[in-house]
Amino acid sequence: MMSSYRRSDRKSLHRGLVAATLFVLVIFALDVLSGGGIRALARAGGSWVWSAGSQTASAIAGSRIAQSRQALLKENEELKEEVVRLTLRIAELGVLERENETLRAIAHVAESISGMTVPIVSSVRSSPYGTFMVGAGRGESVAVGDLVVASSGEGGGFVIGRVSEVSAHSSLVTQVFAPDVSTEAVAGDVPLVALGQGGGNARAQAPRAATISLGEAVLSPSFRGLPIGVVGSVSQDPSSAYQTVYIGLPLNLTALTFVYVIPFSR
Amino acid sequence: MSFLSVANVRPALGLLGLFCAVIAAPWVTLLVMIILALRYRAWEVLVLGLLVDLLWFPGLSQGVFPLFTLAGLALVWGLAPLRREFLIEKEDLVY
Repeated sequence: MMSSYRRSDRKSLHRGLVAATLFVLVIFALDVLSGGGIRALARAGGSWVWSAGSQTASAIAGSRIAQSRQALLKENEELKEEVVRLTLRIAELGVLERENETLRAIAHVAESISGMTVPIVSSVRSSPYGTFMVGAGRGESVAVGDLVVASSGEGGGFVIGRVSEVSAHSSLVTQVFAPDVSTEAVAGDVPLVALGQGGGNARAQAPRAATISLGEAVLSPSFRGLPIGVVGSVSQDPSSAYQTVYIGLPLNLTALTFVYVIPFSR
Repeated sequence: MSFLSVANVRPALGLLGLFCAVIAAPWVTLLVMIILALRYRAWEVLVLGLLVDLLWFPGLSQGVFPLFTLAGLALVWGLAPLRREFLIEKEDLVY
């Protein structure tokens, strides 16, 4: 009796898991059949959650809520409201200032290459596949294969990714240095194949005799000859015929708010 | 009943995983999935894996596989014998 109850209870729990597994498989199949339609819906929701979360986080960071709670309690109510209002205003101005800096940097790139400036609408570090979302899609003439460029603020733009999926008003960008993604590159006159490591870093092998200096720009013929990073360090093993070149992006990906999209395939 | 009672742990972990899928590093979501899969017969693991892939997966044409969906399936079904062997589950205690 007891064991039959246990068996039936386990069966119902198993049925739940089987149903969930079937659900996952059906959703995945529907997504493939609809050409990524379900992924587009999920991404719209995800970017909304991310935007709401980042606005809330900046509001909390801008206010004094995160600091000494006791000190705040001691303050007069009116004074507290005033402080919060002013600090929020300062935080807003800080955000605008950062955006302004990013846009000014992008303007340098825009002077030489035609394209469009678009906002980043997701976290840059959350994806296990080295992808992130931008807030422009088919409706804004973004197409699969377009190049995504960010500027370090000194005039030179670096290609950080390529549009891999497009929906109505958002696109998924795969980073150039996404994990295990290979990219043809040239450092000085030395041809390389940069293997992405994630987080804006890549590694490449070069012949030991090749001269590669630190800080040298790494260009990619696959991306219109634009730079994709700089040589961060070179490691030589006397027993090896090759030297390992570590390539990095000279900009902080997580601090980016806007990027520049250059039409590539049209 | 405390807010942190055992009954609340599973939904709390599920919500944490949901949140992490959108904003946190991928290993955090994976860790939540592993914890859930080790302790419960959690359908949430499958949904979290699917969600991560729906959000971030660039498509089969890019030469990558939906790793988190596959990881979810492996965790839920692969860890079933381990759970059955080592964990005293609720249905084992209530007759």
